[in-house]
Amino acid sequence: MHWSERRWVRVLCGSRGRPLGIAILALLLAVEAAPELFGLGLVRLAAFDAYQRWAPRTRHSAPAVIVAIDDESLRLHGQWPWPRTWLAQLVAKVAEADPAAIGIDIVMPEADRLSPGRLPEFVPGIGQDLTQRLSRLPSNDAVLARTLQTSPVVLGVAGLEADAGPRRTVRRVPFRIVGGDPTPLVRRFEATLHSAEEIDRVVKGHGLLNVDTERGVVRRMPLVAAVGDELVPSFGIEILRVAIGEPVLTVRTGASGVEAVGVGDLFVPTERDGSVRLHFARPDPERFVSAADLLAGKVDRQLLERKLVLIGVTALGLSDYQATPAADRMSGVEIHAQLLENMFDTDLLTRPRAVGWAEAGLLLAGGLLLIVIMPRGSALASVALYALMVGAIVTAGALLYLKSGILLDAASPSLALGTLFTSMLVVTLAETERHRQALRRQVEQQREEAARLAGELEAARRIQMGSLPNPATAFPGDARLDLYALLEPAREVGGDLYDFFSLDRDRLCLLIGDVAGKGLPGSLFMAVSKALYKSAALRGVGSVDAVMREADREISRDNAEGLFVTMLAGILDASSGLLEYCNAGHEPLYLLPNGDRPLVRLADGGGPPLCVVDRFPYAASARSLARGDTICLVTDGVLDAMSPKAEAYGRARFEALLEKVGRAASAAEIGEAIRLEVSRFADGVESTDDMAILVLRWKGPSGR
Amino acid sequence: MDLRPKRYVDTVVLSPVGRIDHATSEDFKIALAPYMTRCAEGQDRVVLDFAGVEYISSVGLRVLMLASKQAKAQRGSLGIAALQPAVREIFDISRFTMVLDVFPSVREGLARLSPKALATFDAA
Repeated sequence: MHWSERRWVRVLCGSRGRPLGIAILALLLAVEAAPELFGLGLVRLAAFDAYQRWAPRTRHSAPAVIVAIDDESLRLHGQWPWPRTWLAQLVAKVAEADPAAIGIDIVMPEADRLSPGRLPEFVPGIGQDLTQRLSRLPSNDAVLARTLQTSPVVLGVAGLEADAGPRRTVRRVPFRIVGGDPTPLVRRFEATLHSAEEIDRVVKGHGLLNVDTERGVVRRMPLVAAVGDELVPSFGIEILRVAIGEPVLTVRTGASGVEAVGVGDLFVPTERDGSVRLHFARPDPERFVSAADLLAGKVDRQLLERKLVLIGVTALGLSDYQATPAADRMSGVEIHAQLLENMFDTDLLTRPRAVGWAEAGLLLAGGLLLIVIMPRGSALASVALYALMVGAIVTAGALLYLKSGILLDAASPSLALGTLFTSMLVVTLAETERHRQALRRQVEQQREEAARLAGELEAARRIQMGSLPNPATAFPGDARLDLYALLEPAREVGGDLYDFFSLDRDRLCLLIGDVAGKGLPGSLFMAVSKALYKSAALRGVGSVDAVMREADREISRDNAEGLFVTMLAGILDASSGLLEYCNAGHEPLYLLPNGDRPLVRLADGGGPPLCVVDRFPYAASARSLARGDTICLVTDGVLDAMSPKAEAYGRARFEALLEKVGRAASAAEIGEAIRLEVSRFADGVESTDDMAILVLRWKGPSGR
Repeated sequence: MDLRPKRYVDTVVLSPVGRIDHATSEDFKIALAPYMTRCAEGQDRVVLDFAGVEYISSVGLRVLMLASKQAKAQRGSLGIAALQPAVREIFDISRFTMVLDVFPSVREGLARLSPKALATFDAA
């Protein structure tokens, strides 16, 4: 069995593979609805990253400036961590430029070990006196705290996944809640790591520095998170709050979760868990000012004035660098600067719920189109359709990203449609294969059928020809008779017949006939007619006309098909040369006299063909033959033979031929002359009718 | 096969054209059938106008024989008229002149089968 004809393949591919296509489509829609379950999440993230790599955000405004403690700063001023008095100088320098707010992306949990009071710990041999003087000096942390107190500073805090040590009270940032309690919805940390209490307590605000990574890449950042029962703002939004001078932050929740986080009249729409999707621009040195330059007084004050100034460490080997869609390495402080730019220009990326439905809708519509069109169209049309659909989905995704920052996942519907396309292609192929197999089998069957039928006709023809008597052996040793007989069937089997047999020692019966019908029915009717006629003749009914009447009745009785047969019968008395004949609608017999007498056409006597008129009173005629006279009986296959010019052979030509050959040496010579002449006349035109010829010469009572 | 039927009161004249042989006899039979169904006592009489028929083979004759038997069984009247010489010879040889009423012309056929139809034929 061919593979395409196996039962399970046929069941799967039935109805042109549409049930299978629909099943696959349903499965794909399920996968589309829960991509994480099937590992499609990676594909989706890759698609979103591709947008940002291909067309990163362009910076419109520059609200944030980063004062970077970079490699140059460390080279000039020495290793990190610096004494906090230096940091205090740096903050003071920034504050001189009158920034909107200062965010410090550094967590300082322990007291500074470089404070004067602790110097004796690493300077051996300091005298008692000096130690006492040093201990009276203010600590570095106190110096820094004094500086921080006078400026709009936000300190970073780190959210910790595990509670590491005694819990510090989170410094409460006032939140105004609109809607339900967001605490259970948002990102949760077990504890926070704060800077040393002395520093921490004097600043205007605290913000979480944490970013979220998905598979090692930063794409989102929580704007608000929870530590214990407390809400904590993110670093960026807290800087904004301090800059504006708002006392509170607002969190708005709705039915589906957190909707927005706001400060003053600025509202930033968020995901349900209070995070935002960052829209990255490429890393840009324009955002940075070196701390070394600032300390050296080489920075224009206008660069920092009314800006949000972030202080962070970017020196290699010290800094936290993260992978982002726009760059493989981006310092944590620059990521915060990017968030501030996003919020200022309100061009964060979003993925509204409707987009998920749109993706499923695209898959459903595209899938149904494939299922309907593919089994009908050509393979090329199917490929074109698939390419067109993927093109349309990718274009829609790109346009949505470019125009409105909406993330449409073009990859997973395209992949899903690809899967469906491949399945349908295989199914269509299987269907075509099966069709071809079925066709091949059908052709084989037809060929076998034709061969079988040809075999049957061949057998019927052999039987028909076999039932005809052989003129050479019919009247053995009878020198008074010279007989020729021929039957040439047209195409397979025909309805002409002839027969001859002895009635007694002197009398012989001969007959020729033509059934009105060809093929098997004609042939069967011919065989029946011939047998019935012979049995009627041999029963001793008597004269030739009586035999004809008897045969008519018997043949008519078994004639359900309504066929009829012409019959010309003759009884010759070989001792006297008396020929009695009776013609039932057949071509008249010809008498070819010996000597100079002309040809005679014996058209008298007889009646219509057998089975045409019920109980027709057939009558006989008689003629005395002279020694050497010949009679010739033919069927209309001879007279109606057609030439290539569609001309019938006709009576005139036939009679002329008989005149010419009638006195030939033997019956066989006359018969063969007729056969050859007709065959020459037809000149290859296939005969549509049988042709039978009987020639009998009477050689006198003694046969001399 | 188009028999180009023409009706004269109670008589339908059918005029086949061409050869009626093994290739066309089945068509002829099918075309003739509806007229033969109505060829019955008290219904239609039928005249076959053979002026356009060049040749008729034995299978064609069989169609005429079956038609004649049907007409006789229904006590209807069927005639055949205006045979061309070749067809006339075939009729003579096969003695079908004894099976069907053969008339030299359609007019003579109508004269025998239906005087009313003849009047209409002459008027037309």
